[in-house]
Amino acid sequence: MKEIDARGLACPAPVLHTKATLQEEKPPAVKVIVDNAASQQNVQRFLESQGFQVTMERQGSDYMVIGTCRSEPDEHARAATVPEADARKIMVMCATDRMGFGDDELGLKLMVNFLRTLKEMGPELWRLVFVNNGVKLTIDGSEVLADLKAYENAGLKVLVCGTCLNHFKLLERKQVGETTNMLDIVTAAQLADKVITI
Amino acid sequence: MGLERADDAGVYRVSDTLALIQTVDFFTPVVDDPYWFGQIAAANALSDVYAMGGVPKTAMNLVAFPVKEMDLSILRQIIQGGLDKMTEAGVVLVGGHSIEDKELKYGLSVTGFVHPDRVLTKKNLQPGDRLILTKPLGTGIVNTAVKAGMAPPELVEQVTRLMAALNCTAAEVMGRFDASACTDVTGFGLLGHLAEMVSGSGLGVRIDSRKVPVMVEALTYATMGLIPAGAYRNREFREPMVVFAEAVERSRQDALFDPQTSGGLLISVRGTQAGGLVEALRDAGVEEPAEIGAVLTGPEEKIWVV
Repeated sequence: MKEIDARGLACPAPVLHTKATLQEEKPPAVKVIVDNAASQQNVQRFLESQGFQVTMERQGSDYMVIGTCRSEPDEHARAATVPEADARKIMVMCATDRMGFGDDELGLKLMVNFLRTLKEMGPELWRLVFVNNGVKLTIDGSEVLADLKAYENAGLKVLVCGTCLNHFKLLERKQVGETTNMLDIVTAAQLADKVITI
Repeated sequence: MGLERADDAGVYRVSDTLALIQTVDFFTPVVDDPYWFGQIAAANALSDVYAMGGVPKTAMNLVAFPVKEMDLSILRQIIQGGLDKMTEAGVVLVGGHSIEDKELKYGLSVTGFVHPDRVLTKKNLQPGDRLILTKPLGTGIVNTAVKAGMAPPELVEQVTRLMAALNCTAAEVMGRFDASACTDVTGFGLLGHLAEMVSGSGLGVRIDSRKVPVMVEALTYATMGLIPAGAYRNREFREPMVVFAEAVERSRQDALFDPQTSGGLLISVRGTQAGGLVEALRDAGVEEPAEIGAVLTGPEEKIWVV
């Protein structure tokens, strides 16, 4: 197991060390040693946010935070949506709730149809991101809400721009997906093999 | 006003119509840009006077500067930032004192005026009051992400402006309403400062967590464990007084305990005036004022977060 000694470091340094190690070495399990409760909780939460299962041990004044990759996929997840290491990763970014220009009514119909048909991409569909007017597709009353929820339940990560929700004052009305920020969106775009923007 | 009840500033009655408010606050840099640091430190120091219902009049600079290691132009920018904030607040800089120190620090000693009958303290909650917050939370968590190099430049700018914003307008508007108590939200976080208001009051408080304005990015960073150690200390210290409903997500709880730099005013106002106060704050240009909870007759000395 990869061991990270983060004793003597103050927040956020232990999280940063852990993050760097995960990025560089992609270990299946890590053991992070810290010497204060705040760092312990921060590292635990970071590992959980990265999909690790976390256990804790106390040794004297030190805390061992042990994270192991979840081997069992989420029971709701289709095995197919967990991309193989060599499967292509496609990110679809919807920056509007209408497809194309011209007739708005037609544009909305096309957008609904587009989102429903996306599932034909199969396991290569890796991230679905909503920004700007696109976030309006994720709130109550959206025609595709049920479809987006089905994608999410099947294990697809649906990201919704928090700044945009905030701008339109729709934060409370979002019904599906994870509220996200530009850093996550940029990281996703970098990791993706293909980005499709509508 | 005695010291047994720690408040935001000291108050000295000069006559039946005039009392002096005196306060001092300084800290180490919270942002990289010296000019903005000066502004934030000044806004933070002035805030204590606003929280007491007063108007700041004069101030003195407090400077600790590593003169051997740092260029004096940095100090000039810090002081210019502070001076610009004082000008914005209508405060006159009357002097100051500087010492050599390994660690840079800047702040102000501020004197303000208040009518002795209009002094607002932390300790006068009334049943039926509503609680109003005048700035969104999350600066501590976002600053941790900034320190971690994970915050994009536009977010750095947003959080910097938020910290540098004066509580001047909010205090002016508050003065037109029947506020019964007030404090500013700083290092102890919203719930920490609220706990100070509640303890000894014999009353309880309900906070509607979904109504508390929080920078959205702070919630994301909290989930990733980018939480300042102070937030954990604040939680540990005040946990016995706080009851969270199950539906309140962990990241939102963290934001409620997040230590703020130069945070907003937390105002307890007569229930019937709450809507009017929020509207008046917004009309006056305060960006995100919100009614976030209510003062109840019980459970005694508990903060109930739903």
